[in-house]
Amino acid sequence: MDQIPVTVLTGYLGAGKTTLLNRILSEPHGKKYAVIVNEFGEVGIDNDLVVGADEEIFEMNNGCICCTVRGDLIRIISGLMKRARNFDGILIETTGLADPGPVAQTFFVDPDVAAKSKLDSIVTVVDAKHLFERLSDSKEAEEQIAFADVILLNKTDLVNAGELQSLEQKIKAINAFAKIVRTERCQIALDKILGLGSFDLDHILEHEPDFLGTSRHQKAHHHDDCHDDDDCDHPDHNHAHAHDHDHEHDPSIISLSLTSETPIDAAKFDAWMADLRATKGPDLLRYKGILDLAGSDKRFAIQGVHMMMEGSNLSPWKQGAKRQSRLVFIGRNLDVEALRKGFSAVAG
Amino acid sequence: MPSPSAIFRQWNFSLPIIALTINRRGDWVAVAFGDGSLALLPASSGAERPKEIKLHDGISLSLQPDADDHAFLSGGDDGRVLIIDPALDVPTEIANHKNQWIDHVAGSSDGKLRAYATGKNVHLLDADGQSTGHALAHPSSIGGLAFSPNGKRLAAAHYNGVSLWWTQAKETVPTKLAWKGSHLALAWHPEGKIVMSAMQEAALHGWRLTDNAEMQMQGYTGKIHSLSFTARGKYLATSGADQVICWPYFGGGPWNKTPLTLGGNEGRLVSRVAAHPKDELVAAGYNDGMIIMAPLDGRMEIMIHPPVGEKGMGVIGLGWNGAGDCLFAALENGYVMLFTIESVSQSASHAHS
Repeated sequence: MDQIPVTVLTGYLGAGKTTLLNRILSEPHGKKYAVIVNEFGEVGIDNDLVVGADEEIFEMNNGCICCTVRGDLIRIISGLMKRARNFDGILIETTGLADPGPVAQTFFVDPDVAAKSKLDSIVTVVDAKHLFERLSDSKEAEEQIAFADVILLNKTDLVNAGELQSLEQKIKAINAFAKIVRTERCQIALDKILGLGSFDLDHILEHEPDFLGTSRHQKAHHHDDCHDDDDCDHPDHNHAHAHDHDHEHDPSIISLSLTSETPIDAAKFDAWMADLRATKGPDLLRYKGILDLAGSDKRFAIQGVHMMMEGSNLSPWKQGAKRQSRLVFIGRNLDVEALRKGFSAVAG
Repeated sequence: MPSPSAIFRQWNFSLPIIALTINRRGDWVAVAFGDGSLALLPASSGAERPKEIKLHDGISLSLQPDADDHAFLSGGDDGRVLIIDPALDVPTEIANHKNQWIDHVAGSSDGKLRAYATGKNVHLLDADGQSTGHALAHPSSIGGLAFSPNGKRLAAAHYNGVSLWWTQAKETVPTKLAWKGSHLALAWHPEGKIVMSAMQEAALHGWRLTDNAEMQMQGYTGKIHSLSFTARGKYLATSGADQVICWPYFGGGPWNKTPLTLGGNEGRLVSRVAAHPKDELVAAGYNDGMIIMAPLDGRMEIMIHPPVGEKGMGVIGLGWNGAGDCLFAALENGYVMLFTIESVSQSASHAHS
């Protein structure tokens, strides 16, 4: 049985989540979704598979201080999975104040949920008109951006071009790796938010040109975001290289990308990551990497949320292709210098 | 090992199976499917044509033996609580909560009470289906529900503990059995003095009510979905590991005792256990379709169904009839199998010859 894809919709109150949800449910895409909502009645579409959730955050007694899961989601997803398959995917609408961490960790931690469903991607809707206000008064708004795979910069009709550009820069400073899409009233082609496979390790590889940075310049120009993006793709003479968007003294959430041309020592990397997860887990929101491990012909991919990490060998490096490793972190209070040194130390 | 031909009879329903339960009298089997329907079979070697009935608009989330010893109780994601009497063609609705899920149901073995959980609330109904009072409120959603063997107490599992209610008293505050973490499936020791709970963290926690002694059992690979005390309560058989883990409840145990570990250790996971109603014998099903019968007296276990090895063929339900001569097993993909003690012993002797 295939695992059912799960899309998580987050966004601060009033950003347009319910509008997006109603659009997904009403468009003639021929698919049927089970929808887990935080409040009944908001969804205007008649759907027999709308389930109300009561956000229940459970701490796990597994020695992991930040390991929290959504108990209600375990219960509801396990229940939905018992049905003879009459739906194609699950949409989870979180409350405006929700931390996406426990939602994402549920898919790593619970064996029943992980066996029958898989997190497809986290989609965050942000209100262009009020984003700066939200970021100044709410830690959740920042976390929702940090966890996102796709960010809908919504209500673009309410701001001017200059404001939009600074909004995108602000979003990228928090999460440099999410795809940002400008929308009005959440008008977006659904294949841009559903079925993305953002949490598949294979997916990181499929998008390897993007991920490893080879097409990053074009992307940056496309988004008119050239600030400080001049050298991140280039080999750094066998030294791990940090790309930190000038925010190393900022206690808020930033994105950090480390690259290395020198093959990584697997044992040293494991020890370093284990220590990082143990000591900095609560501050590490999301991380991903493709690694060129010394002594292996295969690309190794990792991804994680807080202390939960998974890794897997993927297909071999292509003959003659440039082999390099890249590790990206999105987190709070990141010690850029220490991370850069740590990554350097596990190379070679 | 015997040849894998111990099946006495089997049915292919071509529908995903959610649960298999035997009524208290031990003479009917109910099988719930992923399309909301239910099949009933006489729990005997004469079982042939199943009776199929429409149950829920969605699915059954909890199928249990009813307080009425020949009936079943089911709670669904359509908000309905239903009694299924095998003699009738339609179920009887005893409660309906629109837009809510009935996550757990339970019937007391003294035949007097029924309970069901929706969200954080538990509702108690008497034998006539009348509510006995206000809903019993809990701090978080209910993960499991079980009456004590004499029906005088009701245990409700939730986050950070289990609440114990006196079913006859009009009390508003339960006894709290506290232990950090999310509590799910519950089992009462047959003597009614110990409550065991299976946790989200792949561990068991238990309380002895007479002296508040607690017990904690760890080391499981997966979540423990299935708990079954043997007939006189000597052992608690559990799923969730690559072997059948049986904790001893005698001679001072389970404290400072190692459990019996039955069955091979080959990487598969035990998904369901069912203790024999009379003898010291446990049947266990695995997540790859293998089924064994394991005596608790040190004799060799017998494989009665080989691993199927395909995904979606795990054992999802297992139950003995009242006489203890028929074992019914359900695989996730729609097969129900009947093994008789006779067919098993014939198959075993055949294999040894």
